[in-house]
Amino acid sequence: MAEPILKRIAAGDKNAVEDCLNAYGGLVYSIARKLMSNEADAEDAVQEAFIDIWKNAARYDEGVASEATFIAMIARRRVIDKMRSIGRRIATDPIEEMVSEPGSTDHKFIEISAEAKEAAEALKSLRPEQQKVLQLSIVGGMSHQEIAETTGIPLGTVKTHARRGLLRVREVLGLGGMTDFEPKEAAI
Amino acid sequence: MTEKDRELLLDLLTRQATEGLSPEESRRLAALEGSDDDSFDLAAAAVMMAELEPARPLPAHLRAKIAADALDVVNPNAESFRREKSVDDIPPKRTPLLAWLGWAVATAAIVALGLNIAMTRFGVPEIAKNPPSATPTPMTPTQAHDEMMAEPGMTVAKWEPAAKTGEMAEVAGDVVWSDKQQKGYVKLSGLPKNDPNASTYQLWIFEENQGDKTPIDGGTFNISSNGEVVIPIDAKLAAKNPSMFAVTVERPGGVVVSKREKVAALAKVETSRPPDA
Repeated sequence: MAEPILKRIAAGDKNAVEDCLNAYGGLVYSIARKLMSNEADAEDAVQEAFIDIWKNAARYDEGVASEATFIAMIARRRVIDKMRSIGRRIATDPIEEMVSEPGSTDHKFIEISAEAKEAAEALKSLRPEQQKVLQLSIVGGMSHQEIAETTGIPLGTVKTHARRGLLRVREVLGLGGMTDFEPKEAAI
Repeated sequence: MTEKDRELLLDLLTRQATEGLSPEESRRLAALEGSDDDSFDLAAAAVMMAELEPARPLPAHLRAKIAADALDVVNPNAESFRREKSVDDIPPKRTPLLAWLGWAVATAAIVALGLNIAMTRFGVPEIAKNPPSATPTPMTPTQAHDEMMAEPGMTVAKWEPAAKTGEMAEVAGDVVWSDKQQKGYVKLSGLPKNDPNASTYQLWIFEENQGDKTPIDGGTFNISSNGEVVIPIDAKLAAKNPSMFAVTVERPGGVVVSKREKVAALAKVETSRPPDA
């Protein structure tokens, strides 16, 4: 099995940077452009995200997640930080378009991340309102408050859906984490 | 961990993964045991990938910026490349690959070189999907150069100074390139020594795939001694049927977009050779 690109980067292999950009440049850029409507801001975020990726390459553990998922995680964090620092984006997509049947379109990234495929299945297993909240927040880039205002769902319920939905996805993906958070069913 | 802290941790990890945290919230999270739990963010990343539209390609100019950033972060031995050393000591295909992964569409401002060449601007080509693979060889660059020069079907050109006067007027040497092997060597003499902290030499390849306006970056090198040097070409993209090679003087680490303010040497391929078999 080929050595993970991130391991090579952590070892100072500059050729690995090109490989990383070939493999995941489109992923990181797609995440930024999805969440940020301003192209210049998105490009800044991508540039900063890759600096984070280089700096955090040594943290990558292939036993925990795929490289794509790890990189997407770092990219999302940076993009979200950027969004918060400049003010959240103005959502340009109609809410109906942000919420769709999980895995209903030809999603390229499912092919490069086992977790993405599992996440699509996990989303399908969620209650519709949990699914909706996760899609609007994670993919649509909306804050919990924005989701509450847009959908009419009480803010506390939005937070609960987000928490339970994410715990479920995390569980399906086998991402135990360091802290045991068992999903607890409760009436909403 | 108290139940209260646990609830707070769960809330903050969830919010961090879905909508982000304010600086104050981030500080609160950092103070909690288990704050470095990535599992929520990884789950959110997986959801994002599951829902994301097919990839948008990374723009070439942005890619070039990212690659330039990486020079300072990824390469712990960056100084070893920049410090003065005989370029003959650089093993073939080991030259740093990173400084310039592409060329941005360039401006048209050109320093008048008085040269009847097509170097109107340098641009960013698409990154080759199948970059040439490195082929380790125990030979020195000089030996590898000589061996390639003896092979039939190689693309060969002779270096000439870009300016007939000045400190680079005595530049001479040759360049040999193989389309099939995607490798080649530059032999140069007469180039002044450079201070790696102030500048570097950079090689460019004008070839068929990218056209004259978007030459391929062939790598950077420093000259630390007088005399002849042999440098392995470090083409960032697949080069096909080169028509000309150029050496410019750039800032340390090389550039993505050359302003062509200082061209040291040019090597025009005079005749079209049959492809090397």
